[in-house]
Amino acid sequence: MSTVLQQIINGISIGSVYALIAVGYSLVYSILKFSNFAHGGVLMLGSYFGYFALTLFGMPFWVALPLAIIGAGLLGVINERLAYRPIRMRNSPLLYLMISSLGASIFLENFTIVTIGPTFRTYPEVFAISPYMIGDLYIGRLDIIIFVIATISVALLTWIIYGTRIGNAIRATSYNMRVASLMGINPDMIVAFVFFLAGASAGLGGVLFGIKYTVWPQMGILTLKAFIAAVVGGLGSLPGAVVGAMVLGVTETFAAAFVSSAFRDLFSYALMIIIIIVRPGGLLGTVTGEKA
Amino acid sequence: MSLLKIQNLTKNFGGVRAVDDFSHRLETGGLYAIIGPNGAGKTTIFNLITGIYEPTVGHISFDGDEITGLRTHQIATKGIARTFQNIRLFSDFSVLDNVRTACHRYANYTVWEGLIPTPRRRREEKDLTERSWNLLKLVNLDDRAQELSKNLPYGHQRRLEIARALAQEPKLLLLDEPAAGMNPDETVHLMEFIEQIHENFNLTILLIEHHMEVVMGLADDIVVIDFGRTIAQGTPEEVQSNPVVIEAYLGTEEE
Amino acid sequence: MSQYYIGILILICINLIAVLGLSLMTGFTGLFNFGQAGFLAVGAYTATILTTRYAAPFPLALLAGMLVSVLSSFLIGYPTLRLKGDYFAIATLGFAEVVRLLVENLEKLTGGSRGIPRISLYTTLPITLIVTILALWLVANYVRSRHGRNCVAVREDELAAESIGIDSFRYKQISFAINAALAGLSGGLLAHYIGFIQPSMFGMIKSTELIVMVIFGGMHSITGAVFAAIVLTSLPELLRAAQAWRLVAYGALVVVIMVVRPEGLMGSWEFTPANIKALFNKLRSAQDEE
Repeated sequence: MSTVLQQIINGISIGSVYALIAVGYSLVYSILKFSNFAHGGVLMLGSYFGYFALTLFGMPFWVALPLAIIGAGLLGVINERLAYRPIRMRNSPLLYLMISSLGASIFLENFTIVTIGPTFRTYPEVFAISPYMIGDLYIGRLDIIIFVIATISVALLTWIIYGTRIGNAIRATSYNMRVASLMGINPDMIVAFVFFLAGASAGLGGVLFGIKYTVWPQMGILTLKAFIAAVVGGLGSLPGAVVGAMVLGVTETFAAAFVSSAFRDLFSYALMIIIIIVRPGGLLGTVTGEKA
Repeated sequence: MSLLKIQNLTKNFGGVRAVDDFSHRLETGGLYAIIGPNGAGKTTIFNLITGIYEPTVGHISFDGDEITGLRTHQIATKGIARTFQNIRLFSDFSVLDNVRTACHRYANYTVWEGLIPTPRRRREEKDLTERSWNLLKLVNLDDRAQELSKNLPYGHQRRLEIARALAQEPKLLLLDEPAAGMNPDETVHLMEFIEQIHENFNLTILLIEHHMEVVMGLADDIVVIDFGRTIAQGTPEEVQSNPVVIEAYLGTEEE
Repeated sequence: MSQYYIGILILICINLIAVLGLSLMTGFTGLFNFGQAGFLAVGAYTATILTTRYAAPFPLALLAGMLVSVLSSFLIGYPTLRLKGDYFAIATLGFAEVVRLLVENLEKLTGGSRGIPRISLYTTLPITLIVTILALWLVANYVRSRHGRNCVAVREDELAAESIGIDSFRYKQISFAINAALAGLSGGLLAHYIGFIQPSMFGMIKSTELIVMVIFGGMHSITGAVFAAIVLTSLPELLRAAQAWRLVAYGALVVVIMVVRPEGLMGSWEFTPANIKALFNKLRSAQDEE
């Protein structure tokens, strides 16, 4: 029983990191209706920002973390500015945006390999590792801290989207960009802000993931988890992304603990495929038709 | 037997009722119109007939068969062709290919013959090309056949879209605000054109229009809708003098 | 011809076969496939297991590889191609990862991450050339048929295509299947040219290379794909020193193409005698006007 409980806690902890990454991805998807594959590149560089701030510049964690978050956020904005905005302005097919994001992702990943190097790097010890003991239950201190930071951030994001004026504008834009711009909302500002939020949350996710595991140039592949979480929860839905990420995190830790860690990812894909077949709109989403 | 029978059609989007208990019958060979202010649910009715949306409640039957719940291409294959309010041509295709693609069902060669040409394929392709040319001549677009459709002037694009619909040899043609964006002069020409194809192709036509004047001289029967509900139906004269219709139109035109 | 150039020629052909499929699928039908290397892997492993373990004849092994690859395309396409949104692209990306995981972990069958060594070198220049020309001929025929036009119609405007009676789901599935067959073939040929296979040969880098060739050559042009396959296969082979920066350049190139000229080098222009003549006439008339 206690191992099950422990796995659930582990799953929720990693799920909360996935949620951070998935919310950013879904936010961009809900506004521009395309999968931003460069989300992973931003995440990876955010993780490197944090790593170098801690090691190379010896900054304390509470300085390194915001720097990494802001750096990743700005990177997201630059990414949109250079690789997507010119395409958006032409009203080109969404396919072109997706391809451009693939290009940006390839560029970021390989530029990192060429300049920083292909090796895996380990974060310095930021938090004491010794676990909490509750009865006969071991709970990783790191897992708890990660969970708390990620949950606060997701809550903050949710508040920005649903509780502020700019959030209102974002939701109006995602509902209908043309109408929103008629209402006096500047869609380019909104898009830039959304990319900042998405980049920042990806950067934070990258740092947290880096602390728990390692940093390496291909860690952008993690966004695949965000895609899966988003599909499971409902493509383009923010609460869906969070729920999907939690379900995914728990599924993964259970698969790793009780089946085999080598096949952990197979279970994630299986989960996604089952959802697509059984409930294509995702757990919380709805399938909508195109407007003629 | 009616060609198209719509019974108690209702469509909700979230909490909004876009079409409310709409019923209608089209007899073969008629020229019908649905008019109503913007946002009255006209295009939604077309999207329901063509299977782009599924109705919340109601049934549609065509030519004696129930078509509710069929997919868009299946409904098209049964003989319903349409145009779109905001013109949806295959913009990277030539004018000729737009029409030729719409004729595709008049060739029977298989996917395998698509990979490995056979005499049948050559014969059928020649036939498709010939059909398309004939149609383009009929709508006076044959001199621009090789141009990319996106390079055509607006009025020509409208005509090409109608030609593409005709290429399917439909029994029923749905025209979604064909005069949108045209000046009065062009509109008059277009209406003559619609009358002409109505006769030449033995068609039943249902057209949607925002402006009442446009369809007055054209349609035999007009349905007026507002907020998804039918508020009047009858001959142009009847509709024109109906106080409810006048009020609905005056109420919205002032905006 | 020296062995070195023969080798490059064979690699060009093998890449071209996979690029042709991708061009039909992504360029002509508008379906983005992120995991082409997964299909290459399926073809390569199926064919190799058959030739090395069961001493199957090479052509039969290649066909089996194509078949398994096509079956996988149905498996992914059936649930996702009907859905609006990016489900399909995500699924192709996931598929390549699943294949990699399976290949790495089913050690008894695939040799795990060490792969399968000592594969007979059945892939020779004449065989490769014949197969490539055949593939080129088939795809060129297909895009000019009514089915090919239907694919482009689906890409241009799916709703309008459906409204003229085109079953978009079916045409997407067909394009995907043809692509999978060609990718499987390409993988089988590759395995029996290199002489060994490992999971790392079929990673994201391979998928990237192939998609870049399609985009570079012009998404709507078969001859553009041929041209791109030739240039982008031989250049890196000839400039081995710049290897590390190649993928950086590819990434930047993709973004620049999408931003500046999304239709790629050739756009939808095809390198055919009639088109060349037309171009020539245009140039001449432009000269006459001067």
